[in-house]
Amino acid sequence: MPAIFPSAEWLKTLEEKLNHDQRYNEIANKWEGELFFIIEPELSLTEELRFYLDLWHGTCRKVEYQPSQEAYPKAAYRLTATYGHIRDILTGKLHPMTAMLTNKLRLKGSMAYMMRNVPTVLDFVRCAQEVTSEVQ
Amino acid sequence: MQPILRVNLSTGEFTDYLIPDNWQRDYLGGASLAARLLYSTLTKGLEPFSPEAPLLFLNGPLSGTAGPATGRFVVCGLGAATKLWAESNIGGFWGVELRKAGFDGVWITGRSDRAVYLWIDEGKCELRDAARLWGKDVYDTQSLVKEELQRKSVHVAVIGPAGERGVSYASICCDHGRMAGRTGLGAVMGAKKLKAIAVHGSRAVPVTDTERYAPLRSQANRFLKQDNEAKALHEIGTAAAADYSEYLGSMPVKYFSEAIFPSVDDISGSHMAETILTGQSACHACVIACGRVVQIGDGIKRKGPEYETICSFGPNLLIADLVDITLLGELCDRYGIDTISTGNTIGLAIHLFEMGKLTSEDTGGLSLRWGDARQVQALIHQIGNREGFGDILAEGSRELGRRFKSEEEAVQVNGLEVAYHDPRGVSGMGLVYATSPRGACHNQSDYFFVDWGHTEESVGVGFYERHAQAEKSANVARHQDWRTVYNSLVMCIFSNVSPQMLVDLVNAACGLGWTIPEMMKAGERAWNLKRAINHRLGLQRVNDKLPKALLQPYKSGGSAGYSVNLDEMLDAYYIARQWDPSTGKPTEKKLVDLGLADIAADLWS
Repeated sequence: MPAIFPSAEWLKTLEEKLNHDQRYNEIANKWEGELFFIIEPELSLTEELRFYLDLWHGTCRKVEYQPSQEAYPKAAYRLTATYGHIRDILTGKLHPMTAMLTNKLRLKGSMAYMMRNVPTVLDFVRCAQEVTSEVQ
Repeated sequence: MQPILRVNLSTGEFTDYLIPDNWQRDYLGGASLAARLLYSTLTKGLEPFSPEAPLLFLNGPLSGTAGPATGRFVVCGLGAATKLWAESNIGGFWGVELRKAGFDGVWITGRSDRAVYLWIDEGKCELRDAARLWGKDVYDTQSLVKEELQRKSVHVAVIGPAGERGVSYASICCDHGRMAGRTGLGAVMGAKKLKAIAVHGSRAVPVTDTERYAPLRSQANRFLKQDNEAKALHEIGTAAAADYSEYLGSMPVKYFSEAIFPSVDDISGSHMAETILTGQSACHACVIACGRVVQIGDGIKRKGPEYETICSFGPNLLIADLVDITLLGELCDRYGIDTISTGNTIGLAIHLFEMGKLTSEDTGGLSLRWGDARQVQALIHQIGNREGFGDILAEGSRELGRRFKSEEEAVQVNGLEVAYHDPRGVSGMGLVYATSPRGACHNQSDYFFVDWGHTEESVGVGFYERHAQAEKSANVARHQDWRTVYNSLVMCIFSNVSPQMLVDLVNAACGLGWTIPEMMKAGERAWNLKRAINHRLGLQRVNDKLPKALLQPYKSGGSAGYSVNLDEMLDAYYIARQWDPSTGKPTEKKLVDLGLADIAADLWS
């Protein structure tokens, strides 16, 4: 069942989706890397929001909602965006490639690995969009 | 701007040319200003290899200012194969050194009666004998000139044997392996018997308001260091998105006949970074450093291939080995030939051989086949030396097609071979190739980035789905204008600074008070001027076309079943451009609105 973003329930729903979505499981079957998202406060978001996903060979091994800033220092990628831009990605108003290419989504981590796995990234976003019923 | 050095090779005369102030303001510099300067000389019937044909090396107002990827210059003239407007920009350090020597450009005319090179040292100029350089490759020539001048801080722009022999896609090279590859201006230089131009200077590069410019420059470079695209280019080079391009079906395979290359993982920028890459190289003051330095087992550190070279010899010819591709690219560089056109022309030859249009009698006994790096190597030698079948290949793909009654099979537009961004995967490139002033070119607008999602809203470049058709035509036109601004500055298209930041830099460097719309108008003005030049040279609406291969849908891959509707795109494009739909000429009103009344009078009289 889709959930409201942002919430711990939304993250848990995304975890389940990633583990059971056949298309994602296939496209991401070579992906090995943790994502640490930092959402900067803006609009209705008053405090920084963080969430973590451990993605491994087409599955999601672990998620954590609102980990500390210092948690997971070895995460393969740290992705930072304003709340408005994340909202626009989740609602399909902002294409994820546009977000990357125009720095609305700022990226820290191996570009070599990211660029050879763009289809995985795009399908991850599709899953995130599909589990989002509403963005607060 | 500083004067342009005019050199008449027929008489040996040197003069300084002062650029009119209003032209500096209206065209900024680079390719745009070059179009204005050369307009009166580029007339119908002019032959690119004649003494009268001009060859103009020109900087822009940001060249050498340590701005964001602004160490470039441009070479302009009449295309060797296209006989249309030609421009080819190039990085390295040569252009900056020229500015430091007191000139913003070198304008060559005439033809020497013997091989010479031009030596510009702190504003003093001299033509020197180049007999011992003639026949040498571009790397050896650079070394020999430096050795002769006994100066380490000399930068040398050179041609290789291919330029001397009139190969229609001969390049001009500087600073080891930086190339002005497209449109065959190396052959124009060779026809003038000019082997090289060596420069040395130590003056400060002129900037109108240095106090205003310096912090802006720092801010722009700091931004670039954090830019996602620049980080990818630094880490994995221009082949950063090879995998993605193949996934979308926009990387041509087997001479534009297929869209799936199973070995794409083995030739991508990521693979290079994980295997043979040992470092990066940069043009003057560039914080991106997209250039590759690789080591392939013989202990020598050498230039690694960029995206176009990888595709040209890789997927295009079905060669899946980065080491082979590196060496083929290096061989092209040494002869001084463009890798895009070389791979494209060889691809056409193999394609025609498969069709039975070419036989081993035509190829000097060679049985042409896909995926044979040794055979490609042999053909490059033949092209560079104009020997055997290579003498035919040296004329480019259009002439090869014509010779074997198969011009429609050649993947070229107006004589320039198509680069490796397939419109069936990124439709905007169809319109870009069809309307580019120098033939099928990916640098007059790298619209494939926009089709991937790289928008620039403040200049009106938005996002349209990659397979959208006529609805994106006006967007393509705006992007062409935007990139024309880049090509006037002369700034690398990888410099992803915001339009506001760029207009601030231009204002500080040039003493202007422009807004973004005024800057865009300068781009539009130059785009229309180049179009007018081409009409004078004989271009007609019918020349705005795509080759047959690009209009046939792929059967598989990320773009299967799709093809661009070029006619509809062009109709919308002419409306957006305010060009006459029957002739394709810019309307008189449009030209006058852009401040080109004199051009309008010529074009419509």
